[in-house]
Amino acid sequence: MDKYRQAFLIGLQGSIVYRWNFAVRSVFSIVQLLVVFILWSAVYAGSPRVGGFVFGQTLTYFTLLIVLQFFTSAFNEDYQISEEIRNGLINQFLLKPIDYFLYRLSIFFSARIVSGAIVVAPVAVAVFLLRGRLVFPHEGWRLAVALPALAMSAFIQFSIAYCFGMLTFWLLEIQGFVILSMAVESILGGQLFPLDLMPAGLFRAAQFLPFYYQTYYPAAILSGRIGRELALQGLALQLFWTLALVGFARFLWRRGLRRYTAVGG
Amino acid sequence: MTPLTYLRIWLAGARYSVVRTMMFRGDFAVWSLVEFFWMTVNILMIAVIYRHTASIAGWSEYQMMLLVGTSMLIQRLLMGFFWSNFYEMGRNIRTGAFDFYLAQPGNPLVMVSTRKLDLDGLANSMIALALVIYSAHRLGLHPGIGDCLLYGLLVLCGLVVHYSLLVLTNSFTFWLKSAQGLEASYFTLAEFGRLPREAFKGLGSLVLVWLLPVVVTTNAPARTILHGFNPVWALWLLAVSVLWLVIAVAVFNRGLRQYSSASS
Repeated sequence: MDKYRQAFLIGLQGSIVYRWNFAVRSVFSIVQLLVVFILWSAVYAGSPRVGGFVFGQTLTYFTLLIVLQFFTSAFNEDYQISEEIRNGLINQFLLKPIDYFLYRLSIFFSARIVSGAIVVAPVAVAVFLLRGRLVFPHEGWRLAVALPALAMSAFIQFSIAYCFGMLTFWLLEIQGFVILSMAVESILGGQLFPLDLMPAGLFRAAQFLPFYYQTYYPAAILSGRIGRELALQGLALQLFWTLALVGFARFLWRRGLRRYTAVGG
Repeated sequence: MTPLTYLRIWLAGARYSVVRTMMFRGDFAVWSLVEFFWMTVNILMIAVIYRHTASIAGWSEYQMMLLVGTSMLIQRLLMGFFWSNFYEMGRNIRTGAFDFYLAQPGNPLVMVSTRKLDLDGLANSMIALALVIYSAHRLGLHPGIGDCLLYGLLVLCGLVVHYSLLVLTNSFTFWLKSAQGLEASYFTLAEFGRLPREAFKGLGSLVLVWLLPVVVTTNAPARTILHGFNPVWALWLLAVSVLWLVIAVAVFNRGLRQYSSASS
């Protein structure tokens, strides 16, 4: 484990170097919150409840969604992995007793600690400006369910990014596929609107997809958009997707190495 | 160089872009699909929200579709004509490859802006236009030829404003040596353009409608189709596009003085 602790510490230093990138991104996320605020204020001007929720609840959902992304989302891990494969930098991992998945996972966690720490200041400003408008539920079980949900959400998001990185073994260019998947994730992950606003059948179908557990699920638990039964059911499905995606990521690595020609390095 | 010479250079660049696209047909298909997916995502968002409300800031569902279609049209035109040229600019400034543009016997900004086209963006601009036409049809609108021409002119002004914002954000690379994160500023600003002007209140209205130009770029053309010619909106957008182009060119030229050619 010590080697992954070292990778984590190196990743921490590397992420601190890019602190301004995270800072710029966090500031723009707050501007994004302003877009959300203006749009949904206008939506709620016509009706006090939308999908059974008041404005404060929807605003809380989006605020949590934006903040949690800095703690659990993959930012550019897919590109980093892709570059390491393309440039032959993974050669060193083939010669050492290091598991590449765990190595990248250690760096991912260190990066999320830095991005999470950096987003605290802009969030504090946003929460201050939105004081009195945000509505948090008080049930204690939500936190107990949200913590494992957040951890698994991070695993799912990292594994998806890792899988896209693995595509480099087969394809020259993955950028198009990554942005394509971002479009799917933004809609089925509940980043554009809370998924519970979709027709009931579609909402139910979305619960069987991994994207639901990326961002919507933890934010919905913490903002009170889903009840205890749905939250607990979700944990089992989220665990399934976590294991399936981690397994698939490792499978792609093994298959990809068969095609790998170790150019450069 | 005369405008005709610039046109001939641009046509040569366009020809090169078409040939290149035909060489990488799979890439063209993927990127066309990427842009199409993002447009679909925005349409789905409107469709879902309007399941729960009849109007947003006084705009009905298809009025909103027309506004979002206009915003997409301007963005896809920007992507098609200019985006990848400026995407490369930051890297060229860092590596010194920007010398190549300075060595050409033409205005550096024109040479940078017109090197190549992205046909996927241009193809998707047709889909955005189709969304505008479909929305107008669903609204039972029959705009006259004058309104359509004015719509085209105002979309062109919107394109000038978005181009100016692109030049501005990328010109900061001359000082910062990295535009990473800055391009996100363009996309974030552009998101305000998908909202009706009436949704902005108080300070938000002052800053986002009056000081920053993104809301007017989409609202002015959309209103022309919806409500006919309004001289205040049209002149406002015209003035804004001239003003922001002048600012962008001035900042770009100022930035050029900072360029120190990093290559060996």
